[in-house]
Amino acid sequence: MGSVGLTLPWEHRISPEGGGEPRVQPSEREERNRVSDKLSEDAALAAGCLAGEMRAYERLYQVQGARMRNLARNLLGSSSDAEDAVQDTFVKIQRGIKSFRGQSSFVTWTFRILVNTCHDARRSRMRRKEQAQDDSEGSAPALEPRAPGSHPSLRMALERALQALTRHQREVFLLYEVEGFRHAEIATLLEISETASKNTLFQAKKALRSMLEPPRSAEAGGAR
Amino acid sequence: MNVGCADRERILRDGTAEEWAALEAHAENCRECREELRAWKALSVAAAELRDYREDSALWAKIAESLRENEQRAARGFRDRLAIWRGIPVGWQTALAGALALVLAIAGIYVLRPQPGDSGSDKLLRNSALAEVERTERDYMKAIDKLAADARPDLDSATSPLMASYREKLMVLDSAIDELREEAGRNPSNAHLRYELLAMYQEKQQTLREVLETKR
Repeated sequence: MGSVGLTLPWEHRISPEGGGEPRVQPSEREERNRVSDKLSEDAALAAGCLAGEMRAYERLYQVQGARMRNLARNLLGSSSDAEDAVQDTFVKIQRGIKSFRGQSSFVTWTFRILVNTCHDARRSRMRRKEQAQDDSEGSAPALEPRAPGSHPSLRMALERALQALTRHQREVFLLYEVEGFRHAEIATLLEISETASKNTLFQAKKALRSMLEPPRSAEAGGAR
Repeated sequence: MNVGCADRERILRDGTAEEWAALEAHAENCRECREELRAWKALSVAAAELRDYREDSALWAKIAESLRENEQRAARGFRDRLAIWRGIPVGWQTALAGALALVLAIAGIYVLRPQPGDSGSDKLLRNSALAEVERTERDYMKAIDKLAADARPDLDSATSPLMASYREKLMVLDSAIDELREEAGRNPSNAHLRYELLAMYQEKQQTLREVLETKR
């Protein structure tokens, strides 16, 4: 895939204030506080789901549903596929809750199921495409229009650029930068090491930058 | 903290908050690092464009329905099996239950019966090991009895306090040995009792040796 750089330089496309600060791993104390805060909610959700309480599943959807759907949509490139994946994920949680051993947080476990469900969905979609002899787009899913953001052209460029990344790079970028997971959580979620998660994110951002950043000459012209 | 252009990639990859702050400070006077940092942060900001967290209660309704269906399917599976059982006439149910009990009983007997194979050989091994211990013990006792017979005249005719003390010690040891042998007879597989008994025999043997050495 060639460069999908936009005509406007970065300064014009995004406002510098808010969200521009780099995310670094939290300190030990912050981590402890965060974990203890979330632990009770997480444990309560797991216990409720294990007991088969519909309210617990509803709470899980209230707390994580939007994030799950968003991740699935970014992974699959289709809102309807994403909704199916989230629905399948909940059924898989219900079927497999007895096998949840608490080795990770319950939410991380549910996202792991979601990511695997998205892999399955992608594979079956590819099989369907192969059967239909429709391989014009390869494995890249068709991108659907979404709710207008503040920079729709930037979002579209980013979506296209993401499709050019490896599956691993795309997943780590989406989980870290979009969904706000920490490297430790991503490591558990994707069954990789924390260092691998950091390296993959670095490579993903480097690749995205080279795809999105306009050539120097164009930038110089646009920055007037 | 001092960082330079050479540290940039490492900090972008896995930098601490302090290192980031130091890199920012360095970037104020370094055009290349400033540009890199800006582009790096811009990607994080751009990533926010991929966040669409709108509520969708329709999806929850579908999920809830799927969950209920799944639950019902699981329950139905159990009920279906129960219904098949209930559909069978009572006479047949009794006969089947009896047959099942019989099969379980036969299986139990088959599993627990003394096997000519492994479990039998285990028992045989245990028995032969025990017989070996008892035989060794007997031989050991014989040797000690022989030693005791040699020492007896001196012990019986002893007038010295030392010999009297040996005699007393041997009496105590004999009584302890009798007691332990009685216990070991009741519980032949108890290894601890056997070790205790062996220790007593060794003590008796040592005492008899000392008696004979004193005589010389």
